[in-house]
Amino acid sequence: MDAYINLLTNGIATGMAIFLLAVGLSIIFGLMSVLNFAHGAFFMWGAYVGAWIFGLTKSFTLALTSAVLVGAIIGLVVERSTISRVYGNHVSQMLLTMGLMLVLGEMVKVFWGPNILTSPLPAYLAGSWDLNGVIIIKYRLFTIIVGAATALAVYLILKRTRLGIIVRAGVENPEMVQALGIDIRKVFSLVFAFGAALAALGGAIMGPLGGSISPTMGLENQLLAFIVVVIGGLGSFIGSLIGAILVGITGALVSWFLPEAALAVNILLMAVVLLLRPTGLFGGSGL
Amino acid sequence: MKMKKKLTVVLLAVLLFLVAFIPFLTDSRATLNLMTHIFLWAIFAMSYDILLGYTGIVSFGHALFFGSGAYIVGLLLKYVGASWTNTILGILASLIFGLLVALLLGSLSLRIRDAYFAMITLAFAELFLVAALKLRWITGGEDGFSFRVPELLSNRVVFYYLSLGALILTTFLLYRFTCSPAGRVLQAIRENEQRAEALGYDVFRYKLLSTAVAGVTASLAGSLFGLQMRFVSASVLSLEKTIDALLMTIIGGSGTLYGAIIGSALVNLVQDWFTGLARVYPLFERWPLLFGFVYIIIVLFFPGGLVRAFSGMTETILFKWQARRNPADNYTPGKQDDAVRVCLKRR
Amino acid sequence: MILEVEDLHTYIGEFHILQGVSLKVPSGSVTVILGRNGAGKTTTLRSIMGLIPHRKGKITFEGRSIERLPAHRVAQLGVGYVPEDQGIFTCLTVEENLRLAMRNGTSGKLLEKVLDLFPDLRVALRKKAGNLSGGQRQMLALGRALVTGSRLLLVDEPSKGLAPVMVERVAGAISQIKKEITIVLVEQNFRLAKAVGDYYSIIDDGRTVVSGKMGELVENHELLERYLGVKQAAR
Repeated sequence: MDAYINLLTNGIATGMAIFLLAVGLSIIFGLMSVLNFAHGAFFMWGAYVGAWIFGLTKSFTLALTSAVLVGAIIGLVVERSTISRVYGNHVSQMLLTMGLMLVLGEMVKVFWGPNILTSPLPAYLAGSWDLNGVIIIKYRLFTIIVGAATALAVYLILKRTRLGIIVRAGVENPEMVQALGIDIRKVFSLVFAFGAALAALGGAIMGPLGGSISPTMGLENQLLAFIVVVIGGLGSFIGSLIGAILVGITGALVSWFLPEAALAVNILLMAVVLLLRPTGLFGGSGL
Repeated sequence: MKMKKKLTVVLLAVLLFLVAFIPFLTDSRATLNLMTHIFLWAIFAMSYDILLGYTGIVSFGHALFFGSGAYIVGLLLKYVGASWTNTILGILASLIFGLLVALLLGSLSLRIRDAYFAMITLAFAELFLVAALKLRWITGGEDGFSFRVPELLSNRVVFYYLSLGALILTTFLLYRFTCSPAGRVLQAIRENEQRAEALGYDVFRYKLLSTAVAGVTASLAGSLFGLQMRFVSASVLSLEKTIDALLMTIIGGSGTLYGAIIGSALVNLVQDWFTGLARVYPLFERWPLLFGFVYIIIVLFFPGGLVRAFSGMTETILFKWQARRNPADNYTPGKQDDAVRVCLKRR
Repeated sequence: MILEVEDLHTYIGEFHILQGVSLKVPSGSVTVILGRNGAGKTTTLRSIMGLIPHRKGKITFEGRSIERLPAHRVAQLGVGYVPEDQGIFTCLTVEENLRLAMRNGTSGKLLEKVLDLFPDLRVALRKKAGNLSGGQRQMLALGRALVTGSRLLLVDEPSKGLAPVMVERVAGAISQIKKEITIVLVEQNFRLAKAVGDYYSIIDDGRTVVSGKMGELVENHELLERYLGVKQAAR
């Protein structure tokens, strides 16, 4: 029983970090039809900046904040300077974003070296609680809370604010949004930067969760995020949330029994969803 | 037009003659290896061109075919024996494997939006990579394994001509394929998928055909690559291999086949040069960064490839100028191709 | 003249769709663009709106050139657009659809006025726009264009796919609106065009062939038959 609770919390915590990566990917695709193959790079940059700032200042709050900030800035710069030039051309978009992934990944190696680094926890989040024999690891709980809070915030932004209304309208018909006098390009940039910031937050949280960071983590986690959005439905907020938790838990469970097969089982899950419901579990249901 | 064609044929013949003569000019192992590398990578890059250049499909998992081809041949020769039968059997097996995987991945994702194929291929290539890394007792994991090949094949000069022959044969067959009615339909799909569909073509089946041809060709390149190296490690399955093929295709100009050959020569020569430089100046260990920048610049500004960009410089400038004059060429949702790409493609 | 279009040329892909469209729209009038299917009526509206780039030609709105401006700038200057498919955001509520269109400076009064004009919308404010009937959608589309505070509305075939009763109501609404706002209307339904139009302009094969007062067109049987295929009965 203990083992299962342990696996479950681990799975949900990982799922939350992946959700932060997947939700931006999904919304960016929904709004701009850009499948961003560079999204994992924002995640990785978040992880490295977080660990770096934490090492320098010993302040975890500051580490997370700077990760988010750096993510947003890189996202904005990248969107303005390159991606905005290829809106409407799917092939160029995919080639371009993959190139950005390559460059951003190599730049991580330039700044922090190609080797695996440790990503430490702040003291107050280390350790665990023992609730009647059930061990709850503090940092996992923290991850779940941050993930859930962010999910709620994103949901409320989408549902309640003017920006949220514009985004949802833009997903359905970007041209009409423009015809109503809204500069959709600005909204694109904003949403792209926002998605990148969320991914960076996910990375900064994921680092201490696994304890180490490496230049391959961008691609590895991006792959999980792809699986999440295919399962949940590209463009769907709820889909990314449910998909991420599903993928997180599946990964944790399978890893327990057969670590080698974790990715394989998740890919299999994706293939099954693709066969049975190509639009994903929540595709086309709005939000 | 006829004149130009004749000139091309003559030029090609001269070039071929020169290339065929290289082993008589030098017996440097490094040079022969590099040339052989270029031939095999050219086959791989051409297979990518069938997808990207001729059908407009993006794959980020093409290394899956290349790598599994190398692994199949390698494993067979290592565990069953370094015989000619096993070599030929290995190549055939990798072709069949490539065909089956292409059909599987294609039917999973080609019916949905184009982004899905890119994601699915990336995912499966990563899966194979992880498998190769984790199945240590068979594959040797990260370190890989070396194997013996039939005596004659370990002769560099023989392998040189074998690879050259394979390149010529593949180029010829792929050229015939792209000029066939099916190949024309693929190009129609690339230009405008909806129109091809409206004309009554089963777009999905043609795309599937394209992935099958590309997959089989890439597997051939991979199995020959394994034979050349007499060594296989998980890196043959890595995303970098796909990106390299992609880079070669777009540098030379996608949708031309010959562009992939030029791209292969360019990229391999530069890579070889940089690897040499990196031994002296550690800065050059980050050459993928430079490649990444070049790649982005090509995608953004020379979608027709560098070769075509240089030969058609004036036209490009003209078009850019026109595009600047027309800033209202702004976002039109759902449009598959922007005007620049279509225009350059049509040349 | 609130809107002047001169010798407009537009390409879609390699096709030369508009080959010289000219239009003069007097302030406070309803000008109806008539023409066969595929004549270039919708493309004309989209070109004016800045949704398709045009190659050649002048477009002036309230004396100001709006050529090559992106659509959102054109809209901000005071041009509203109601597309053929109404462009309703079906995943949003009616209220959200309207709120999206309201800009800073658009007063609540305007919204109230629009809701008075279309009582159907007031009742359905909280409903998902996707659940509205075809006629209600058209009203939402018109209402949404109105709350932007535009001084010129480009309306593309508002009668398309509507039941005759609904067409009557749309005609009524347009007659109401036109008291305050200039309208350019693309319409195939000649009955509606006749009922609300002050001026007409006929486009054929991407060219403006003839324009004038609606009253004159109604009398001109030859024109009607040649360009619009309007039969006696329909008149």
